[in-house]
Amino acid sequence: MSPRSDATPKGSGADSGRRIVLPARIRSLPFLRFAALWEAFFVALASLRQNKLRTALTLVGIIVGVTAVIAVVTIIKGLDQTVASTFSSQGSTVFTISKRPQVITSREDFIKFNKRKDVIREDAEAIFRSCTACWRTGIAANSFEIAKRGDQKFEGVRLRAITPSAMFEIDGVSIDLGRFWTESESAAGREICVVGPDIVTNLFPDVPMERALGQDIWTGGHRYTIVGVLQPLGKIFGASRDNVIYIPYGNFEKNFGAHNSIVVFVQTQTAPQLEQAEDQARAIMRNRRGKTFRDEDDGFALETQDVFLNLYSSATANIYVVTIGVSAISLVVGGIVVMNIMLVSVTERTKEIGIRKAVGARRKDILTQFLIEAVTVTAIGGVLGVLSGFGVAWLIALLIGFPLLFSVWSAVLGVSMSSIVGVISGLWPAWRAAKLDPIEALRSE
Amino acid sequence: MTEATVAISEASSSVLEKSELPVNGKSDLLISMRDLWKTYDMGAEKVHALHGVSFEVKRGDYLAITGPSGSGKSTLMNLIGCLDTPSQGEYWLNGKNVAEMNDDDLARIRNQEVGFVFQTFNLLARATALHNVELPLIYGGIPGAKRHEMAKQALAAVDLADRMTHRPNELSGGQRQRVAIARALVNHPSILLADEPTGALDTATSYDIMNLFEKLHEAGNTIIVVTHEHDIAARAHRIISIRDGLIEKDERIR
Repeated sequence: MSPRSDATPKGSGADSGRRIVLPARIRSLPFLRFAALWEAFFVALASLRQNKLRTALTLVGIIVGVTAVIAVVTIIKGLDQTVASTFSSQGSTVFTISKRPQVITSREDFIKFNKRKDVIREDAEAIFRSCTACWRTGIAANSFEIAKRGDQKFEGVRLRAITPSAMFEIDGVSIDLGRFWTESESAAGREICVVGPDIVTNLFPDVPMERALGQDIWTGGHRYTIVGVLQPLGKIFGASRDNVIYIPYGNFEKNFGAHNSIVVFVQTQTAPQLEQAEDQARAIMRNRRGKTFRDEDDGFALETQDVFLNLYSSATANIYVVTIGVSAISLVVGGIVVMNIMLVSVTERTKEIGIRKAVGARRKDILTQFLIEAVTVTAIGGVLGVLSGFGVAWLIALLIGFPLLFSVWSAVLGVSMSSIVGVISGLWPAWRAAKLDPIEALRSE
Repeated sequence: MTEATVAISEASSSVLEKSELPVNGKSDLLISMRDLWKTYDMGAEKVHALHGVSFEVKRGDYLAITGPSGSGKSTLMNLIGCLDTPSQGEYWLNGKNVAEMNDDDLARIRNQEVGFVFQTFNLLARATALHNVELPLIYGGIPGAKRHEMAKQALAAVDLADRMTHRPNELSGGQRQRVAIARALVNHPSILLADEPTGALDTATSYDIMNLFEKLHEAGNTIIVVTHEHDIAARAHRIISIRDGLIEKDERIR
């Protein structure tokens, strides 16, 4: 027994008396050539350290590219998040029934929808009576008015008439100062209102917000007493969502007439009930409009808030692709920088390549070495680029003001993209190194 | 089998085939070159660096190849070392026909069968002595711990055990050449192939290196030294002189 027999546990224990010598073909399998890969990695690090200026230039090339892509992606994701959270404030348990859909894409459709019957209070009441899957219902009507108080004037105000007061919750607004009105006040048709903070700041300049409570404002030729001020909702795409005046629907009917088509809001208790509630409400409404199952058109629009999100994503998808594509061009430039520098590196290290080949490095060993060098530098550049991309996005978000989403996904994307750039741009230089003639290479200085 | 068929097979194989050639490592015959040509295409005309070189080297021999510059001895050395392939002819090294091999197979042969010692040492400047010696083992796929051990032993064999962590620029010329010799021997190759090994060394150091070669030869290594210096060639046991791409003289002196 040779003393070596104990030192070869790899021999699967079947024949431990003999030393197992792997044939060259098996020894050259990639996972057993780990030594060469490791060597390539350390050579890469040493060479990157050796040529600091060159490494720095390469890194800058890659970092700029990755920064651009990551910043753009992060900002886009942040915007998406803002939009999604804004439009889903009513939650996925709410749908609406109205005369016209919220999004109309053609003039023909607009004319067609206008010929439909108005949605009226009785429709809402019918749904409220018969829809078992519905939890609460409410109605709302909108009108754009001018708000006035003394000499102060505020144009483009959204007058929103609602009932019952549960509509505040369905709308996703909450009170900041004062109170919502009571059902009895609403039923009595009182001239009271709850206003968004923009109304107060515009009509009551230089006055603390509490002082607006109990004060009167004028809109549509009628006087309303402020009983509550809403918490600010902020802006979306530069448009304020806080220039709103809520009044009871009963009063709106009295003062502004019932000639406007209203919107019926229906909320279910849980999201899974939504579909059933939609079916029931649709049946009730079709019945009220005398539609048989043969009629393809409902004669009204039943929609969830997904409509907005779908419109938003279809409108922005192309913009996103173009933006990301443009910023990716800087990555291509970075790749060209890497290729250039790798070519210089190969030329400078011809002698080294010759030595390695003389002692047994094969083409793919040399190829791998230079590829690893290219990928190492681009991956490091990718990591730094991701960090600075997040930084840039954070700065922009700070200036514009929207929440940021730092996702692991985009970090992985940045590093893997830069690594792919490394492979692609390192391939040609590495191939040139790999096919150098060892004699010529050894002769070079 | 009749006697006639035996006679035929012997006759044909002795001319052509490998059945008569050393196929196992224990054969005496290490190198067999048959009618080796190397032709370079220089545009319009063809230059024959070697035209029809044939010789054999037995295992454990100490051979010097000499000749003036331009004689073709560098070309011959490149062929022996498997850095290049002949345009025509056969080259059997340790039972393998090297003449027809592709780049990667040649790399494998260089890794396993040939240990190079160059005039200008050709060490990796940024790597330590130990790492330089490990280099052939890395490409041979030897795992780390064993690789270290083998490289240390090889350095100890050339009396450089205390210089393992030094880089080439921290070593004298003689020490560098000994690192190169350790690198050449670390994989236990069939031949140690030295190209003007003392060309960059002073006389005293040259003397040391040649003594080391002698010791290695006594230990059983096959050594081929390519040189144009007569006193270096005279240390070998056999001298092949090359002139104009042909063997001019092949003499055994010891």
